[in-house]
Amino acid sequence: MANDILVFGEVRGGGIKKITKELIGAARRVSAAAGGAIDTALIGAGARAAAESLTGYGLRKIIVAEDEVLARYSTEAYAAVLSDIVKRGAYSYIFLGATAMGRDLGPRVTAKADGVMFSDCVDVRMEGTRCVARRPVYSGRAYIEIVRSGDRPNYISIRPNNVAPAEPSGGGTPIETHASNVTRDAIRAIVTEIFPLEGGRPDLTEADVIVTGGRAMKDKANFKILEDLADLLGAAVGASRAAVDAGFAPVAIQVGQTGKIVNPKLYIACGISGAIQHLAGMRTSKVIVAINKDPNAPIFERATYGIVGDLFEVVPLLTEELRKVL
Amino acid sequence: MTIQGIVFLVFFVAVLAVFGLIVRLLYRILRAAKPEDRFDRWGDRIKAVLVYVCAQARVLAKPAGMGHFVIFWGFIFITIGTLDHMLGQLIPGLGLERIVGRRLGSAFILLQDVFGVLVIGALAVAAVRRFIQKPERLKIDDPAAPRQAALILALIFVLILFMYGLKGTEILEGSARLTKTNAPVSFSAAEMMRGWHLNVPLANDVFSWGHNLVIFFFLLFIPFSKHIHILGAIPNVFFRNLGRPGALSRMNFEDESAEKFGVSELGDFTWKQTLDLCACTECGRCQVACPAHATKKPLSPFRVIHRLRAQLMRDKGGLFAKGAGVLKPTPVIPENVSEDEIWACTTCGACVQECPTFIEHVQKIVDLRRFLVLTESRFPAEVQPVFKNMEVNYNPWAIGYSSRADWAAGLGVPLASEKRSFDVLFWVGCSGSFDQRAQKVSRSVVRLMQLAGVDFAILGTEEKCCGETARRMGNEYLAQTLIQANIETLKKYKFNTIVTACPHGLNTFLAEYPQFGLSVPAVHHSEFLLGLLSKGALKARRIETLRGAYHDSCYLGRYNGVMREPRALLSRSTKRVAEFGRRGRSSFCCGAGGGRMWMEETLGSRINEDRARELLGLGVDHVFTACPFCLTMFEDALKTLGREDVHALDVAEVLLEACSR
Amino acid sequence: MKILALLKRVPDTEAKILINQEGTGIKDEGIKYVINTYDEYAVEEGLRLKEKMGAASTVTVVCVGPEEATELIRTALAMGADDAVHVCDKALERPDPFVIAAVMAKAIKAEGFDIIFCGKQAIDDDMGQVQSILAEMLDIPQVNVATAFEIAADAKRATVRRRVEGGDEKVETSLPAIISCEKGLNDPRYASLPGIMKAKKKEIRKKTLADLGFSESPGEARSTILRWLPPAKSSGCTMVKAEEMRDAAKELVRLLREEAKVV
Repeated sequence: MANDILVFGEVRGGGIKKITKELIGAARRVSAAAGGAIDTALIGAGARAAAESLTGYGLRKIIVAEDEVLARYSTEAYAAVLSDIVKRGAYSYIFLGATAMGRDLGPRVTAKADGVMFSDCVDVRMEGTRCVARRPVYSGRAYIEIVRSGDRPNYISIRPNNVAPAEPSGGGTPIETHASNVTRDAIRAIVTEIFPLEGGRPDLTEADVIVTGGRAMKDKANFKILEDLADLLGAAVGASRAAVDAGFAPVAIQVGQTGKIVNPKLYIACGISGAIQHLAGMRTSKVIVAINKDPNAPIFERATYGIVGDLFEVVPLLTEELRKVL
Repeated sequence: MTIQGIVFLVFFVAVLAVFGLIVRLLYRILRAAKPEDRFDRWGDRIKAVLVYVCAQARVLAKPAGMGHFVIFWGFIFITIGTLDHMLGQLIPGLGLERIVGRRLGSAFILLQDVFGVLVIGALAVAAVRRFIQKPERLKIDDPAAPRQAALILALIFVLILFMYGLKGTEILEGSARLTKTNAPVSFSAAEMMRGWHLNVPLANDVFSWGHNLVIFFFLLFIPFSKHIHILGAIPNVFFRNLGRPGALSRMNFEDESAEKFGVSELGDFTWKQTLDLCACTECGRCQVACPAHATKKPLSPFRVIHRLRAQLMRDKGGLFAKGAGVLKPTPVIPENVSEDEIWACTTCGACVQECPTFIEHVQKIVDLRRFLVLTESRFPAEVQPVFKNMEVNYNPWAIGYSSRADWAAGLGVPLASEKRSFDVLFWVGCSGSFDQRAQKVSRSVVRLMQLAGVDFAILGTEEKCCGETARRMGNEYLAQTLIQANIETLKKYKFNTIVTACPHGLNTFLAEYPQFGLSVPAVHHSEFLLGLLSKGALKARRIETLRGAYHDSCYLGRYNGVMREPRALLSRSTKRVAEFGRRGRSSFCCGAGGGRMWMEETLGSRINEDRARELLGLGVDHVFTACPFCLTMFEDALKTLGREDVHALDVAEVLLEACSR
Repeated sequence: MKILALLKRVPDTEAKILINQEGTGIKDEGIKYVINTYDEYAVEEGLRLKEKMGAASTVTVVCVGPEEATELIRTALAMGADDAVHVCDKALERPDPFVIAAVMAKAIKAEGFDIIFCGKQAIDDDMGQVQSILAEMLDIPQVNVATAFEIAADAKRATVRRRVEGGDEKVETSLPAIISCEKGLNDPRYASLPGIMKAKKKEIRKKTLADLGFSESPGEARSTILRWLPPAKSSGCTMVKAEEMRDAAKELVRLLREEAKVV
């Protein structure tokens, strides 16, 4: 009770989303130091099936809510159910993923349950008796470590890919059903349709990862090696103005001052020199990887990581190595 | 008075009256237009008329202008002769001779007689050029234009024929004042006509009436054709811009209830801008000088003025209309000038420089941009982030203003805020501060100044964008905000000169900052560095292997006359310097001015590539520039053309290399 | 239709963020403040909705912020918003999301509204909580991360597209509701000069906490910041080198996964 943790897991297609295991991993670290049980709550269509796959993770129990009303996501229904579960279990910490659902649900439940929430954290650990969360602020230009004041339930949303996912640890976990008492007419906003990404490639201006080719691509067909990398990373493909002018890529994917201005988490620039007109379009990218034959290319001054080499050699190797770990 | 005489008198008075109404209408339009102060420096203005009207200086700048010189003076003499003739018809016995005396009168007759032939020759050449050779500069998408031109040429030709006919028959009738000596051509005409067995007095009357009718037709026709320039050109030269060519007008934002800014209808122009429209000779020289036109953009300064004049003719209303002088509020955009045309302008000023009648095309385009930007917030999408960046971070790129001086890290560059009083303020500019390529130029300048022991400082993070590019794009409000902020900052320190590596900054300090209360000496870095070299504060050894061509930036050469100094620097630093065909004041724009640097170039071909091709044709492996925009444009173009073996260097970089050996 | 747009004053994205000597926050000097990027989309969407709904609709900007926020509110007014409510109080210098939401809820209840637009998160604290807490306090539905918005013909419902992992969801909501805006929803307009001039005369209703009816503080802080830290990786490019290019690629992958945590 004192330090019990509830992990709010996310279900997708009858299985568990990877973030859930990461949350359990984080919860284990905290509980190892603070004591307290770890429960997991799953809501929505396919929750029970997903719960089955989590029974070997050493959790105290898995709470499943899978009513008709919860089949499609709605903030109000899920928030009502989750806050109910939280109140019943008197949890001290509630971990959610910093995902679209977590970001939407977390604060609403926090408000309902009069808790306190730390959003988008990259690390959670115990420092003495306090649970400290580290989170980026100012778009990652600084970090803060934050603790709750008092003992309100502490909602903590954690960024995907920041904590190692938990491995199965054996044992069986009971699955408990939670009956929601939410009615359809109480829900005022509900998801009515889902549109998966077309062609698997996100829009340049909204992509989290972008792979861009410059004039060094030499040919339209050569963009295939960038596309392979992009497909692997779920990235968008961009081109410099020089590449577009030379006819290697359509103007719709031109990145730069007079093209698209992008702001991804990861920008991989292949054969791009980094003149200011191009930089102006992507310099706010969180992480920039530059691959260029010329060690003096200006892009290296702005990049986070750089490799001096022939992109035709480096890019396929990079794709291969990534494939091994993803 | 004879019946003929009375009829003539009636015609004369009627035509003069209508002509008078026309002139009055034009005058009223000018009176109703926005004010502009061009009433200073009468001495210089009169001089301008002598040089550019009487001596036709700009017209003669191109060989074909000789034709106009002949037609112009010929027409004047013929007109005087016509007046003489008409006066004689009204009041027999009254004439030129009576006024100026026999000798002068006779000399004048000779002048007129000879010029008539010269004019015919010029007309023939003109007809051949216009209708057979069809030069680029005369191309205009208005079918009425060649028709009008043909009519004018024909009319003048007929007029001269009638003049010779008139004088010839006068000789046949036995004239005292026309002799073989002072009217040789008319005499030959007379001889020719003698064989025709004409009824001479009748023929004389016919030629006389024919001549007068042509003149009357001309008087009523000119205002509605390009020949309105006969009325407009001379005053337009008189009221020419005597200030620096690189100064745009200053807008006043005091009226907080103003709903409209800039020009959206003809009535928004000043009287001088309206007069400009009446001064266009349709020579098309602006068109051939225009880099946008040369690269097949829809913009041609010729077309803009032509369309505006046509609109003026339509919007002016009837001669006898009640509210004469008030123009109809027809929008200029897009009916007469499209947005594509307006944004295609690089403000290079070649059109203004070429114009024989001193029309100011660039200011009109900027005024139209002001309307689009300030009133309608309508401008190319790529420009909005540029405006926002200048508002928030005082530079066109979204780079934090606090890193403006990072380029100087470790170089020991003094800050104005520390030194407070110094000789030279090195104005680094946005490119020089943030663009990695241009930063190298800034460092070169600093290194050279340090070598020479110059007492200088930079503003560092206190420096804001000079505002030039915002002003050229029509965002006068933003430009003024930046200008005023910079002036505040500059006033805090004591220094003697501003030295800058950016011609756009230079131009705005020289031509525009004084409009806002700051007049401070400013020179281009090439001028300053040459001074140091000449004084011996810098020693350069020529780099024998460096061969290149020097490119004159529009804002340095054409707008501010700095052409000798960069060349002098280069001749001390390199072995040979080649020259572009289009050089000096006739240099061809790199394409980045007028805010075009921030806009995508989707129409026609690329201006910078055109210039790069010209460079490649010179067979050198370097181009020397003195402007960060030109530097970027050349590097971009050379890359696109696959010629990265040719390098662009700023003159300061070259000099530093030469001083470091 | 009464449309509200929430606005926050935040440091510009390009401002140099340096932690102060005491380690209690960031250095304030040299920072330029702007309207939170995502709030610009909110203001713009509010204006577009107003244009669609016609003359009787108004857009009111609501801002909880310091005195200096006034000029940013004027910018929103210059874009076309009709008036504003500005809650300004010394006690609100470093409020947490609950406090902001509570203050806004009071101000908004006093104003009345049919729909609220706001940004999906503020680019300073990146919390993204206020809108949802506010929605709960006002007892209205919420739709977050909107990439498209369309109001129903009867103006009582709206259809919103929201961004989720791997695609978009279409959400139908009743109004009133709060909609938080994502990049791509619209292109915020550039204020025209007549707009800027008119903005000077538009009303900004200034409120202190007392004006809103808070007899004491609107809530105590629910969290404490223990420490401020600089970003994990200092600036400068890490050149990845190795004997074999394959090893360099391997190392790069490792850095991207473990250090940068972007794959």
